[in-house]
Amino acid sequence: MTAGDYTPQDQFSQGPAVEVRDLWLAYRPGQWVLKGVNLTVPRGELWVVMGPSGAGKTTLMKVLAGLLPFQRGTVEVMGFRLRGEPPRLFRRAVGYIPQQLGLVRGLTALENVLLGTLAQHGGWGLTFGFFPREEVARARDYLGMLGLGDKAGVRVFNLSGGERQRVAIARTLMQDPQLILADEFVSDLDLPRAARILETIRGLVRERGLTLLMNLHEIQLVQELADRVVVIKGGQVVYRGPAQALDWSEFRALVEAEDDGARVAGG
Amino acid sequence: MGPGSLAGKDRGRDAALRRWRDLSGTLALLLVLGWILGRMGFFDPGRLTGGLANFGRFAAELFPPDISVLPVVLSALVETVEMAFAGTLLGFIVSFPLGVLGTRTLFPRPVVLAVRLLVAIVRTVPSLLWALIMVIVVGLGPLAGTLALALYTVGYLAKLYAEILEGIDPEILEAVRGLGARRHHIVRFVFWPEAANTILSQLLFMLEYNIRSSTVLGLVGAGGIGFYMQVYISTLAYGRLATVLLAVLAVVLIMDALSAWVRRRYLLQT
Repeated sequence: MTAGDYTPQDQFSQGPAVEVRDLWLAYRPGQWVLKGVNLTVPRGELWVVMGPSGAGKTTLMKVLAGLLPFQRGTVEVMGFRLRGEPPRLFRRAVGYIPQQLGLVRGLTALENVLLGTLAQHGGWGLTFGFFPREEVARARDYLGMLGLGDKAGVRVFNLSGGERQRVAIARTLMQDPQLILADEFVSDLDLPRAARILETIRGLVRERGLTLLMNLHEIQLVQELADRVVVIKGGQVVYRGPAQALDWSEFRALVEAEDDGARVAGG
Repeated sequence: MGPGSLAGKDRGRDAALRRWRDLSGTLALLLVLGWILGRMGFFDPGRLTGGLANFGRFAAELFPPDISVLPVVLSALVETVEMAFAGTLLGFIVSFPLGVLGTRTLFPRPVVLAVRLLVAIVRTVPSLLWALIMVIVVGLGPLAGTLALALYTVGYLAKLYAEILEGIDPEILEAVRGLGARRHHIVRFVFWPEAANTILSQLLFMLEYNIRSSTVLGLVGAGGIGFYMQVYISTLAYGRLATVLLAVLAVVLIMDALSAWVRRRYLLQT
């Protein structure tokens, strides 16, 4: 696939941040993980995707991040029509935080944050460790803002879980993205700590008018955090609506009832 | 019956099957070993005891070591260590890029298969045979030995490195790819920092190994102490041979201690 498959013309327009139509995806032939997903996320909103494990939430996130090819349907993210390896402009516009954060453990917090500039500065200079001075200053600012100013030189394997989460957020902010996709990235933290991290990221998203789409299964956190909730089950969207309107007992029944869809790998 | 109890029963049966398979596998392995050794005459009492007597006579003739040849032996030993050092580093310089090219998570299948095939071919040839080939190519002397060790090193390290790099958590690769990283960025900012310790540890191991194996390369004229081993064995000068062996032992012990120190000092910080 070539970059020519993309249509970035309305990148700066006010179309939806995410527009998914009839998305089908299978890791192995015939074993569909996503079965005709439809989803439209407007710009500037904060949406949460929920659902039982194995429902296809992570798979959907990876598709939207341009990391996973799919078989059928159309996916448009920030005006880019996804097909094959996306162009670098897309990489700048979309930040992705995987479930285990994907930080490089052998690099320092500062170096990890600086990796967020790779899409902007593609040259060989970086390969020898020379990041532009103003980028280093910006990275330090983000770390300071997230309360990690004194940890810039510490390697990630020496940081605590909450500190790593904040490094991942700083790395995403370094990209200067319009859309942030976060895949259950607070699932390893206890509830108060998770709430604090989410509070931080919500503040940043609101302040900058970004769009945030995240997988989250802590029901207690969803209602006060999200504008809207999407529930995925068995590879399909089964509920979509305002978080406040959701009846939790009904929701639990929706999510927790076991079926074949819950056993599909790649959740 | 609920789904949980069904799964539990399945698991129990799986465990029993596995135990049975492990047991029969071990038994089969021992039988094969016994059969092979038997064919070689391992269980023939006369052969083994007679062999021991021969070994005793040979060992007795090694003493006392003739230290008059020490200056010659030491200078040949220095050459051996130089060969091992240069050959290992040369091999490493080629191995790391080849290992990267042989990583399935970074390069397309055809590239990976071609590189792995090449490395497998290099690995098939033992270092002594490489030395013989290099003597034909570049002539007698330590250059032949150095190149032979470099090739041998590539055969092992390139394969090991590809496997180490493939073992890196794919989620990190995915995340960094999502940041717009190109392949050389991934090598620099993911592969190296995540695997440097293991990579350098294997390099040290290879150096130790090459120090030992470089001592025999002189047998085919590829430089180093092996030449004198060959001469002293064929002239039955076992006292002098003993000096050579003791000197080699000293070098190997020193190198092992040195690399243990490097490991402790620099590689165990994770």
